[in-house]
Amino acid sequence: MFKRLKQKSNDQGTAQSSRNIALLLLAATLVFVSFSLFSSVLTWILLLVACGAVIRGAIYYNYYKHLPSIRTLNLLALLSILGLIYSALSAGLLFGMVNLLILACALKLMQMRSQKDVYQLVISLFFLIGCGFIFNQSIGFSLFYALLCLTLLLSLACYHAPSIRIQKQLKTISILSLQALPIGLLMFLVLPQLSPLWHTPKADGAQTGLSEQITPGDIARLSQSSELAFRATFEDTPPVIQQLYWRAIVMEDFDGKTWKVHGYRKKMRELQLKIKQQFKPILTGSFFNYEVIAEPTYQPWLYALDIAVPADPKSSRNIMQSSDFLLFSQQPLANKYQYAVRSYPKALASQTLSVTDKKINLSLPANGNNRTREWVNKLRAQFRNNNDFVDAVLRHFVDNPFVYTLRPEIMLVDPVDRFLFDNQAGFCSHYASALAYALRLGGIPARIVTGYQGGELVKNPGESPYMSIYQYDAHAWVETWGDKTGWQRIDPTALVSPDRIEFGLRQAMQEEGSFLADSPFALARLTNIAWLNNIRLFLADLDYNWSRWVLGFNSEKQRDLFKSLLGKLTPERLSMLGLGIVVTIAMLLGLFFLPHWLQNRVATTQRLYLKALSAFEKEGTQRATWQGPSAFNQQINEQYPTKVSDPFTHITQLYLRLTYQNKLDTDSSILSVKQCHRMMRRYLALLKSELLKN
Amino acid sequence: MLHNKLAMAIEQSCQVLIGKQQQVKLALTCLLANGHLLIEDLPGMGKTTLSHTLAKVLGLEYSRIQFTSDLLPADMLGINIFDNNEQTFRFHPGPIFNQLVLADEINRASPKTQSALLEAMEERQVSLDGETRPLPSPFFVIGTQNPSHQSGTYPLPESQLDRFLMRIQLGYPDKEAEKSMLKTQMGNVQHAVETVMDIAEFIELQNKANQVHASDELLNYILRLVTFSRESNQFANPLSPRATKALLSSAKAWAFINNRDFLIPEDVQAILPAVAEHRLRSASSDFSAQGSLSKLLLEAIDPIAA
Repeated sequence: MFKRLKQKSNDQGTAQSSRNIALLLLAATLVFVSFSLFSSVLTWILLLVACGAVIRGAIYYNYYKHLPSIRTLNLLALLSILGLIYSALSAGLLFGMVNLLILACALKLMQMRSQKDVYQLVISLFFLIGCGFIFNQSIGFSLFYALLCLTLLLSLACYHAPSIRIQKQLKTISILSLQALPIGLLMFLVLPQLSPLWHTPKADGAQTGLSEQITPGDIARLSQSSELAFRATFEDTPPVIQQLYWRAIVMEDFDGKTWKVHGYRKKMRELQLKIKQQFKPILTGSFFNYEVIAEPTYQPWLYALDIAVPADPKSSRNIMQSSDFLLFSQQPLANKYQYAVRSYPKALASQTLSVTDKKINLSLPANGNNRTREWVNKLRAQFRNNNDFVDAVLRHFVDNPFVYTLRPEIMLVDPVDRFLFDNQAGFCSHYASALAYALRLGGIPARIVTGYQGGELVKNPGESPYMSIYQYDAHAWVETWGDKTGWQRIDPTALVSPDRIEFGLRQAMQEEGSFLADSPFALARLTNIAWLNNIRLFLADLDYNWSRWVLGFNSEKQRDLFKSLLGKLTPERLSMLGLGIVVTIAMLLGLFFLPHWLQNRVATTQRLYLKALSAFEKEGTQRATWQGPSAFNQQINEQYPTKVSDPFTHITQLYLRLTYQNKLDTDSSILSVKQCHRMMRRYLALLKSELLKN
Repeated sequence: MLHNKLAMAIEQSCQVLIGKQQQVKLALTCLLANGHLLIEDLPGMGKTTLSHTLAKVLGLEYSRIQFTSDLLPADMLGINIFDNNEQTFRFHPGPIFNQLVLADEINRASPKTQSALLEAMEERQVSLDGETRPLPSPFFVIGTQNPSHQSGTYPLPESQLDRFLMRIQLGYPDKEAEKSMLKTQMGNVQHAVETVMDIAEFIELQNKANQVHASDELLNYILRLVTFSRESNQFANPLSPRATKALLSSAKAWAFINNRDFLIPEDVQAILPAVAEHRLRSASSDFSAQGSLSKLLLEAIDPIAA
């Protein structure tokens, strides 16, 4: 007896601890989700989350038994709300909401007592995981969030059935999730990809990538980063690498040190956005198509090769073209953004140069860089022809021992002078800046374009080739205006360090050893080790396919998929497809539930009989648990008048017949199972009405 | 037609054993299921009468062996005797070579003789001096025994009790029955009993009884009963697979006697005390609980539950 008691208390103990495991899992999930949103969650809220987790942990390990009192928590909640309102006012709606949600979860975790609390927390956590996708969408995070969802389900299961071992629960949950996977996949593929009813609140992240102003030296920072900038998928063979100048930003405002996007252009763009007017370049010659998946930059600039226009209707809806042949999106890129472009490499960027344009592109700071001014004046006196003058300026870079380096000296005063005549070492932005300045001094309109140059080409057999362009591919070059040729690209860096253009930064910096010198563990740095490089390429490939096929799966991709399935998209075919999918899902579900359903069919007999029994139970006559049906029928016959007992006798007989008789005895006189059930139902109704009359 | 004969057999037997219809039916069930029967009761309760009547009604060759403490196996099985005229051994079959053998007061014989009988019961053949002789078919043993705590008895061990398909108790007749017995049966009434069928018919009945349908639900019920006896801690000796088979075959015969061609839980419930009681043994040493073991088993299991 004692032993049994002890065992019972043990059972209760394990049940209790299993429930505690469930709560602990919830705590862990909350911690992981909130830390995955680390950058956009307030530190003190993270601290609260940690406190909640510590409390749960202490309870689990029996260090401590008491939850904080409701009064404490109410006070805490009040103070937190005030604090949150204070910080959210400046940081925006999304930020505030996410923090509020995390805060609420943390407090719930501390307060959690009843089943209701657990449900609330689980649902909030699911929502929170959903919110996580606003900030992180990479394949790694997706897996991570999927894992957290599994953990949530596991904790629910543990909470509901505490007596079952957690390993078994895990198995059940995994099987259930695997079963849900194909349906989820199918729904992902075929459900209409509606654009959201309201705009997903944009996360305001720090701007990354290129910036709207450039002081020689800035790109050095970028070139230390091996992060992905964007990927481009080409329909055919991509152009040779020397031609791959990905334009992003044009800068025309120079103050002697720093190049900026000109205020006039900014205003023009705002105006364009307002009146939705596109700039339409004149396009000639051959073209090629490609698709770009840009990483989030929180800036509107898009990347494209020379004279590009949006290539599909969706892109042309969202992408604006400005008069300096740039593409920009209507909203800053807060997520990965995919767009299709068509480039006309032979077309001339030869819109007329308006007076304003000319003024902007010739404007110079009033003073400074005097040596350069003198030098240019001397050259200009020598070469009246514009082309000759440009050549002469460029020759200066060739004739003097210029060095391409990622570690230039800092030039604070008269940077162009010092660069051109003293240091003669720098990288693309130094060269571009000096050249543009010199050309403007010589009266030739010139501007700086920043963007990326080159990229890493991946050609998998059977797939379209794609390029990965990393931040270290960032580049700056010059465009000058010629009356016949329009805007033309001149890249002084190519003269100084042809390797940079032809083979990329890594090759160019091989001797100096400064490539990614600040991030010694970057995989991109270790391309010499073959297997590491293979891993890097494989990861890049995986990420590319994830962005392209999962994140980039939009209504257009969906239509392409339908097209490849159906051929031509006619309403009949579409409706057939829809019908087919519905039928497929129904059949899958049917197959899944059929055994269960069949079992239920057999049990109908039982159910009807039990209904009759419960009718008598209401009248106060209960069948002893061991009593067989016909014995009970006899008892009823003795206790009740024939009006009542007769229908029951029929029910009993039908029940006995259906349950115990040989089903293989298919005598033609024997009623079918269905008929028997119908009769049973009829007798049941009769029995109930008779019992009521009694 | 055959069923009528069965009903007649029951009716005839009941004329002799007044008020013992249930026991008569059980005994007949046991024979239809091709099993041996153990009747346990005090002297003078009609054990011998029942077996005698059954033999007569069913038209079976009948012999009776009175077991005593000095009965030897050879007395029962038979012996080889040297024939002087033919200069060979000749086998003199013992009383066991009959279709229905009444082993009277089986627990008075020594274990040696008991086991010789029980071996014959199980194997349905006799091995003597290196020669195996089959027993007639059908072959039944109706053993009677006095309650084991009477003096001068060798109680049968469980392993041997298991060989009997059923054990029944006759019990005292009620007042009415005893009165009518006094009124009608002051002579030897067994002569008035008529034989209603021959061996062939009896064997056909046996076959038909075996064909009674047992649905899955019913088999599950039997299995639940058996499993309960094994899993519950109330039984020291749970039911063996042989007992499971015995339950099914007896329930079939019972359903057949009740003129049904399929089994219902009540059939199992009706024969369970007779089939299971002598195979079960209580785990507690409290003897007063012994009588209700099969009831305990029955009441634990719901026949309707799926």
